[in-house]
Amino acid sequence: MQPSSMPIEAGRRAGASLLAKAIVVLALLLAGTAGARAHASLASTEPADGAVVATAPSGIALTFSEIVSPLVMRLVTPDGASRDLSDVAYSGNTLRVALPAGLADGTHVFSWRVVSEDGHPVGGSLIFSIGAPSAMPGAPTGAVDWPVRGLVWASKLTLTAAIAFGIGGVFALSWFGTGRQAGRGAAAGFVVAGMIAAVLAVGAQGLDALGEPVTSLLEPTVWRTGLATSFGRTALGLLAASAAAMIALVVPGRTGRAPALIALLGAGAAVAASGHAGSAEPQWLTRPMVALHVATMAAWIGALMPLGLALRAGGETATGLLGRFSRAIPWLLAVLLGSGAVIAFIQVETPAALVTTAYGRVLLVKLALVAALLALAAFNRWRLTPAAARDDAAARRALAGVIVVELMLAVLIFGAVATWRFTPPPRALARAAAEPAWVHLHDPRVMAAVTVNPGVAGPVAVSAALQGGDFGPFAAKAVSLVLSRPDTGIEPIRRDLIPAEDGTWRVGDLVLPLPGRWKLRVDVLVTDFERVRLEGEVELRR
Amino acid sequence: MSKSILSACALFLATAGIAQAHTTLEQAEAPVGASYKAVFRVPHGCEGKPTNTVRVQIPEGVITAKPMPKAGWTLEKVTGAYAKSYDYYGRTVSEGVKEVVWSGGNLGDDEYDEFVVRVFLTKDLPVGQMLYFPVVQECPEGAAERWIEIPAEGQDPHDLEGPAPAVKLIDKPHAH
Repeated sequence: MQPSSMPIEAGRRAGASLLAKAIVVLALLLAGTAGARAHASLASTEPADGAVVATAPSGIALTFSEIVSPLVMRLVTPDGASRDLSDVAYSGNTLRVALPAGLADGTHVFSWRVVSEDGHPVGGSLIFSIGAPSAMPGAPTGAVDWPVRGLVWASKLTLTAAIAFGIGGVFALSWFGTGRQAGRGAAAGFVVAGMIAAVLAVGAQGLDALGEPVTSLLEPTVWRTGLATSFGRTALGLLAASAAAMIALVVPGRTGRAPALIALLGAGAAVAASGHAGSAEPQWLTRPMVALHVATMAAWIGALMPLGLALRAGGETATGLLGRFSRAIPWLLAVLLGSGAVIAFIQVETPAALVTTAYGRVLLVKLALVAALLALAAFNRWRLTPAAARDDAAARRALAGVIVVELMLAVLIFGAVATWRFTPPPRALARAAAEPAWVHLHDPRVMAAVTVNPGVAGPVAVSAALQGGDFGPFAAKAVSLVLSRPDTGIEPIRRDLIPAEDGTWRVGDLVLPLPGRWKLRVDVLVTDFERVRLEGEVELRR
Repeated sequence: MSKSILSACALFLATAGIAQAHTTLEQAEAPVGASYKAVFRVPHGCEGKPTNTVRVQIPEGVITAKPMPKAGWTLEKVTGAYAKSYDYYGRTVSEGVKEVVWSGGNLGDDEYDEFVVRVFLTKDLPVGQMLYFPVVQECPEGAAERWIEIPAEGQDPHDLEGPAPAVKLIDKPHAH
């Protein structure tokens, strides 16, 4: 007996009930000295544990095996808040606890703690849902390190711009132009900026992966970690592609075409080597699609700056460049939009995810910007290009002006795309949500692999696969499960597991409404007279 | 507040009597090297259901178990070999009753009864420690109450949900 815990328990609740509690405790201590030691056990509840009720019950009835006195009656509501209930009525072995009016729909956890004859408190939890089961909001996840996030975002944005205006610019210059016209300096500048950004992005990636602040940027482990992530491959590939682009810029005329094409396709392949689009299944499809998407985007956007510069200058160079670009652009756009559609289809999975997930909303913003860009491009092609191709000065200047707007739209699109780094696609979210939580418990005699499926707060199914200490099959007479959350005052939730055909022990109608670490216990009845207790913890996501 | 006081008084009165929620042994202590009348007190059934069967496991080192028959219950003795041989007044005993089963009864959830086994506690049992007799109450529809848990080293037996009835082993008093 631990009488000391009782006055502390009582003392916590101030007010008029304090005296009554103290008298209860005293009586119980006296009762204890009479030699009787007993724990009360819960015989029945109303509503039943796990019940889903249509309307909010006015109260909860707990019937015990003997007369008990309440210590704590606590209700955790679907919003995760908890409150103590004090309106308790007695009738024989039954306690009736009044529930507050106006309870919201969703899963409630009613936790009780009572004291019986021996002065030892016993507790338990009763879960009931109004309307339908729900999950409660958990503790907030770790704070976002905005400087690191900003660095990752800025380096991604710079990289994309460098691929488009640098490598794409070099490609456009050598394939649509003669390789000798204006825009070479700007393209070279972007390629160099891209090389710097590729290096910096490795560091930013390392900081993000390790959860380190920006001040740790000079630590070698940050860089080693960044390079070890899949982005390391992308960065190295982009550096190689940038080197090829620089070669294409310095070699004369049409000999630059081969290195420029290598640079363009290399940049596409490098981007496809990391990120969540390239890592989606089926990879034989997604990786080439991402590479083509990036390469055609770069060829299109990269051509804009040399085009604008040439159009402003006018003359033979401008009309030649415009003519070749106009012939190529339908094919480039077909591949660009086709590959983009395939990737979006794989990543978003359901149309609803476009609005319900952050990834989908970013995609909608990007698509709106792309639509505006395409509208401008169509206006250019069918309104301004025919006149500009005749070297009409006003049309040329108008076209150059629209191209400046197109360039600004492109930068906005790159900015939107860079935020995808922080928004897992619906495909990945769906997979993560379906991922079960798992814990392995062991004892010299028996081991249990316990799976909570899905591994998120809300309605779950729990299964336990048992093995003997020798890894052989283990025949148990009965298995029961006890779950609790001492940190939030949720007292033990008990369920008997049912043997399934595949040899595991299962329970289906269980609602674990709170995310976070649950204490879990599996009681395995080995023989009629022997029970093994396995204890551990399992973490549920929100 | 008055309800709390009333319930406390009710509890006090109840516990001053014989009501107990666990199945327990009547005697708290017993000497080794002597006979012991183990009285198992069964306070209730299985969560509202009556008890039909009471099974008591006789632990190792406890020999020559003789259960007391009860009217209305069928008595069964499960025998087997002990883990080792024991000296019983100069005689070597290596097998005997290892489990006692009273079945076919009907002890209501709101009723109380006692089940008795006379045993001999051999001198091989460790003086100063607790000796546990795991007990299972079986009820209709597969329900059962199992008083089979033995506290681990340093564990408070009160933390167990179904502690096995126990008796503290003491030295045999020197009568002569």
